[in-house]
Amino acid sequence: MLRTRSLLLGCAVAVAAMPAAAHHSTALFHWGKEVPLTNATVERWDWTNPHVFLYVRVPNKAGGTDRWAFEGMSPNHLSREGWSKRTLKPGDRINLTYYPLKDGRKGGFNVSVTFADGKTIRQLPAGAPASAAREQ
Amino acid sequence: MHEAPRSIIPVICVVAAMIAIPVNAQDTGQAAPEATAPRPASDYRKLEALPNWTGVWAPDWAYLFGRADGPPKPELTPAAAAKLEAFEAAKEKGENLQGQIANCIPPGMPGIMRMPYPIEFVFTPNAVYVITETFSQVRRIYTDGRSLPEDPDPFFNGHSIGRWEGDTLVVETIGLNPKMELQGGINPTEKTRIVERFRLADPGRMMVDMTITDPDVFAKPFTSQMAYVLKPDWEMREYVCQENNRDAADEFGRPTLNID
Repeated sequence: MLRTRSLLLGCAVAVAAMPAAAHHSTALFHWGKEVPLTNATVERWDWTNPHVFLYVRVPNKAGGTDRWAFEGMSPNHLSREGWSKRTLKPGDRINLTYYPLKDGRKGGFNVSVTFADGKTIRQLPAGAPASAAREQ
Repeated sequence: MHEAPRSIIPVICVVAAMIAIPVNAQDTGQAAPEATAPRPASDYRKLEALPNWTGVWAPDWAYLFGRADGPPKPELTPAAAAKLEAFEAAKEKGENLQGQIANCIPPGMPGIMRMPYPIEFVFTPNAVYVITETFSQVRRIYTDGRSLPEDPDPFFNGHSIGRWEGDTLVVETIGLNPKMELQGGINPTEKTRIVERFRLADPGRMMVDMTITDPDVFAKPFTSQMAYVLKPDWEMREYVCQENNRDAADEFGRPTLNID
């Protein structure tokens, strides 16, 4: 009974809100506020339910590295979007974007990964409007 | 001579157990197990007359949480409305932001039908099984003519019977777990009844009309729709939520995430 207009709008909202209903809410994150993180080296890639996790190391101003942790979607979702357990491996150099954790810890929800060859893959499809983010 | 009595003991025990089981079944007032007895092979041939729902059906996300005006809003009784208002108000304190699903506890009905992962159908002469990828659950919808249980134990997914009206599968469900939610802040009771009507809108698209009634909760029947899309190139996957769950919700619904 939904009209076409609300259906189309609805699709975009659904994309933004998806992780919420999948397993948990988006309340912990600045959902929709996509932030870049460059010069990251993959430390660990957990291809697991209910969410994948990506751990990276990034150089800090003190001359060392900081560890960052990012939750992502699930293997069930990502495997149908072209990702796999072999998409990332320790030592890979990447840039990424994420929705930050509200509590200030170094981490968040991974949105996209860009490889050294310039190829970008996304956990969440592009164009998901930030304003559509909503807690389920 | 000493061996014989001992060898009889197990036989006696087995016989005693055989006697005891039917007696217990009668004591509990449950239906005789006839409905679950082996079916003649001819019953399987009758399945050929049913619509072909083979395949993996993915939820149409627009129906999951995609409505521009938010989830469907039921008309509640004053008591249920007051409870929902308190539930929503507590979000200002950081509570009720995350459900027990974050602790890997399945949502129960109707939430299990609104997860972002696919479902599939298995027809047998006795039942239609709905297998949900999320939490790897099975809904058993008995289509063998049995009645709904009179005083069911609370089940997350309730107790379901179904019947075919042409190519539409009509499913009635009762016996939901009151600790679960029909929607955020709205819990089922022993009076809650869900009716679902599954039908193909076209060969690759399934529509499900759902009506929830409960005189203690809803001022009028609460209707909503879901849609599923056939995915010919998908296979069902497993989903073990405890594999690596780093999210959690405490008893007040306050979320945490372990990133160590």
